[in-house]
Amino acid sequence: MDSLLNPYYLQIVMFVMINAMLGISIYLTLATGQLSLGNAGFMSVGAYTSALLTLKVGVPIFLAVPAGGIAACLLAAVIGVPTTRMQGLYLAIATLGFGEVVRVVALNLKVTNGALGLSGIPSMSVMTGKGLSELGLGSGVGILSAQQLSNIIVIVVLALMLACLVFFALRLSKSRMGRAFAAIKADEQAAEVSGINTTYYKLVAFFMGAFVAGLAGALAAHITFYIGPQDFSYHKAVEILLFAVLGGSNVVWGPLLGSFILTLLPEVLRPVAEFREMIYGAILVIMMTFRPEGLLKEGTIRFLWAKFNWRAKAEDDNSQPEPEGGR
Amino acid sequence: MLWQQVVNGLTLGSTYALIALGYTLIFGVLNIVNMAHGEIFMFGAFVALMLVTTFKVNLLVAMAGAALAGAVLGYLLEVTALRPLRKRAVSHMAPLISTIGVSIFLESLALNLFGAQSQSFPPMFSGKLLDFGLFQISVIQVVILAISVGLMLVLKFWLDRTKMGKSIRATSENIDTAAILGVNTQRVITITVMLASGLGAVAGVLVGLAFNAVEPTMGIPMGFKGLAVLILGGLGNITGAMVGGLLLGIAEVFSVAYGASSYREAVAFGLIMVLLFLRPQGLFGSPGNGGR
Amino acid sequence: MFVMKNVAKKVMAGLVAAAFMAVAAGCGGSQQSGGTQAGSTAKIGVVTILSGGGAAYGEAIKQGLELARDEINSKGKTKIELVIEDSKGEKNEAINAANKLIHKDNVVGIIGPTLSGDMFAIGPIANQSGVPIMGTSTTAEGITEIGEYVFRNALPESLAIPQAVKKAQQKLGLKKVAIMYSNNNDWAVSSFKTFEQAVKNNGIEVLTIETFADKDTDFSAQLTKIATLKPDAIMVSGLYQEAGLILKKAREMGITVPFVGNNGFNSPQLVKIAGASAEGAIVASPWFPSKDDEKVKKFVTAYKAKYGKEPDQFAAQAYDALYIMADALEKSGSTTDRAKLKNSLKIVKDFQGVTGKFAFDEKRNPAMEVTVLVVKEGNFVELK
Repeated sequence: MDSLLNPYYLQIVMFVMINAMLGISIYLTLATGQLSLGNAGFMSVGAYTSALLTLKVGVPIFLAVPAGGIAACLLAAVIGVPTTRMQGLYLAIATLGFGEVVRVVALNLKVTNGALGLSGIPSMSVMTGKGLSELGLGSGVGILSAQQLSNIIVIVVLALMLACLVFFALRLSKSRMGRAFAAIKADEQAAEVSGINTTYYKLVAFFMGAFVAGLAGALAAHITFYIGPQDFSYHKAVEILLFAVLGGSNVVWGPLLGSFILTLLPEVLRPVAEFREMIYGAILVIMMTFRPEGLLKEGTIRFLWAKFNWRAKAEDDNSQPEPEGGR
Repeated sequence: MLWQQVVNGLTLGSTYALIALGYTLIFGVLNIVNMAHGEIFMFGAFVALMLVTTFKVNLLVAMAGAALAGAVLGYLLEVTALRPLRKRAVSHMAPLISTIGVSIFLESLALNLFGAQSQSFPPMFSGKLLDFGLFQISVIQVVILAISVGLMLVLKFWLDRTKMGKSIRATSENIDTAAILGVNTQRVITITVMLASGLGAVAGVLVGLAFNAVEPTMGIPMGFKGLAVLILGGLGNITGAMVGGLLLGIAEVFSVAYGASSYREAVAFGLIMVLLFLRPQGLFGSPGNGGR
Repeated sequence: MFVMKNVAKKVMAGLVAAAFMAVAAGCGGSQQSGGTQAGSTAKIGVVTILSGGGAAYGEAIKQGLELARDEINSKGKTKIELVIEDSKGEKNEAINAANKLIHKDNVVGIIGPTLSGDMFAIGPIANQSGVPIMGTSTTAEGITEIGEYVFRNALPESLAIPQAVKKAQQKLGLKKVAIMYSNNNDWAVSSFKTFEQAVKNNGIEVLTIETFADKDTDFSAQLTKIATLKPDAIMVSGLYQEAGLILKKAREMGITVPFVGNNGFNSPQLVKIAGASAEGAIVASPWFPSKDDEKVKKFVTAYKAKYGKEPDQFAAQAYDALYIMADALEKSGSTTDRAKLKNSLKIVKDFQGVTGKFAFDEKRNPAMEVTVLVVKEGNFVELK
């Protein structure tokens, strides 16, 4: 037990949570069939907003983090309308370009401190640690040191937020809006003809994706002490995409599983440092050959459901068939 | 200075165009973006470098060797990462991911094989300066311009006039119809991927020569530019790739010359975004061909 | 809903456990392979870039460290075991690497990371955990202000650049200059700022400031613009790879004015890339391979014999860093006590390394002597 609470593992768990949120953010836009690669850009907007608010204005973290999400959402409003006119690869590259523009702007602005980035960002675990010592728990509780305890508290907070997001995404897929999303994903023209306001729903999906990405970015800033423009480059955009594609983008659990695996894999492969990139690449190719729709799809979920289902009642809840998306 | 900058822009742009050609060829036939193209480009540069420095062959032979190596890599790419996906109906994102996998693999392989250090061609190839009064141009710039324009023209002619070229175009129109009409689409696809990769490898040699730097990570930024050109010119459009490449080169150079160099990347991508906002199908793409 | 969560929780928990076991097993393996007899061996962690774009620099650092380790171990007093982790030049990877070294491998101290940005991310972690960390190439301002466990033996550019500019002005009579820097490299931006200040302090006019990015290969647009302004010299802040290409392109375009560089210039690679175009380039640094010094000569010979190339500044500083740490360890009298190592590092003074006489000042920055160098016939020699 003690070894599982090693701060090294706790840190990785935090990264898993953040990446899972990013996975959800791309899932939300993908739910309408839009492949947006601007999430790294939105993430950086959220991260910078929150970091600057806490560093320069002195806003407390719990207010600054949602502000980061809102800032990303506002930016999405600016580029959203023309973006929803684009389709497929054009959209992907345009949003990728958007991410690059955001990065270059962050490199050039004074307030973001250019390539030097922002250092000394208030960290959630340090803040919690301070709070604990004010409560007289500075030396830890039982077998837990103060550092472990504050890390665990941060993880619990992150887990709660993640659970809320997952819950929201699950509810969404069963709501009227979620069905509209699925219809657009299956066939945009048919959806339009049958009276669905596709532009509106695509915009909503785009905003939600941006908000969640901004939120995740803000949280990331507050667990790593430092952010710089290079953290949000093309590689990050591709990494976020990989979460959804590896795990499976048709179900909420897919991006979650994808982010989980892809965050742990580099750590597992650490002993073979020189070759881990090669292994990483090979895994992606093999994955796509044998399971191109991702590890999880509706069928898998239903299968797992049936296998682990102790409450028959819940089956009705899920039996409603979801349209097979993806082309 | 204006003319000098135009020449700078054209040289840069012609290398972008060459890379974009490879993307466009593959996209035209297979409707996928080959994310590993930049790494094949990098391998081409390394193969030529090794041929020149270790085996002391002349430049043209080295270039042919690079093209051959590129084609072989293209074949391997097709067999391992593309063909298995084609056999089953998959989401259009699957090939994107599997080629990203190949690109990560190749980049890491190159780092292990050749080391991270940047290497350069022996100085005999980078050369003298020709002075035209209005502008100066180095011999190597002329060579690059000539080879890239030449290759583009040959490619265009080949696609338009030869039987193989016609098969490729038929396949890119509609793969099923082409198959019904007796085109061996499997073969056409393999040849296209090999051809595109061979071209990419030659582009790698040219860029390595022009800028005197060959290193394992050179594929990413260049591949990225090629991708931008692919979009700028319209997916699967050869003329578009050529014009788009030159345009991007000139736009980048002019942003440095008359604007602020620190916004260079943003200007290039801003251009693409503005263009796509105005014309979502790209410069030369026809409406409805807007990619899936 | 609840069922779903339960199932997911179970699956997740299982996966977490499996993954952690894999991590643990993997790491266990690496520990065994590196292990000599415990007790007398000090475990020192290294965070550096071994894959990705910055690997060229990380490789030099790794080689410098390994050479120093072999030498120290063959002498027989303090035995050193290096646990080297890859940061890939990415912040999160660096954080994971540092956490692993601190909490899993239980190293006594850390050398690295390669990038200043990474140091801003892992410095606080090391400091919080009470592990001494020493950057060998982290030159940005404000690094050691992170906390009392953060050290560096990388020469801050604020020391070197003003000397280079001053000497260049004396020798070449500069009145107006152009400045170029890599704007996506935190360290290059930092030294650009120092350049700007130093140029201003010496009453030199700045004609234009142009930027480029790491990994750029085409500099013709910037240089064409600079050529029309006819500066007396061009100041460049960037890594040797881009610097070499800039020098080469400039000479090719007929720009003949001298170049003054930051520490990034100080590498044999610069001469290798730029060839004859590197002639006359000026840089200030505590390290140069042709220095007439017994230690330097020995180091250069040993490095060449082992790796088949000349060491650069990254290798030299890493080499010294390990010696400094080993020295401090020996004086602290423990191979595992992190706080003792920190206290012992703090008072390092009159250490004679390949980068000259070395001491930490009260802010744990290096106090070293700087020499202004110029490239002559392909070698760095003192500018007299």
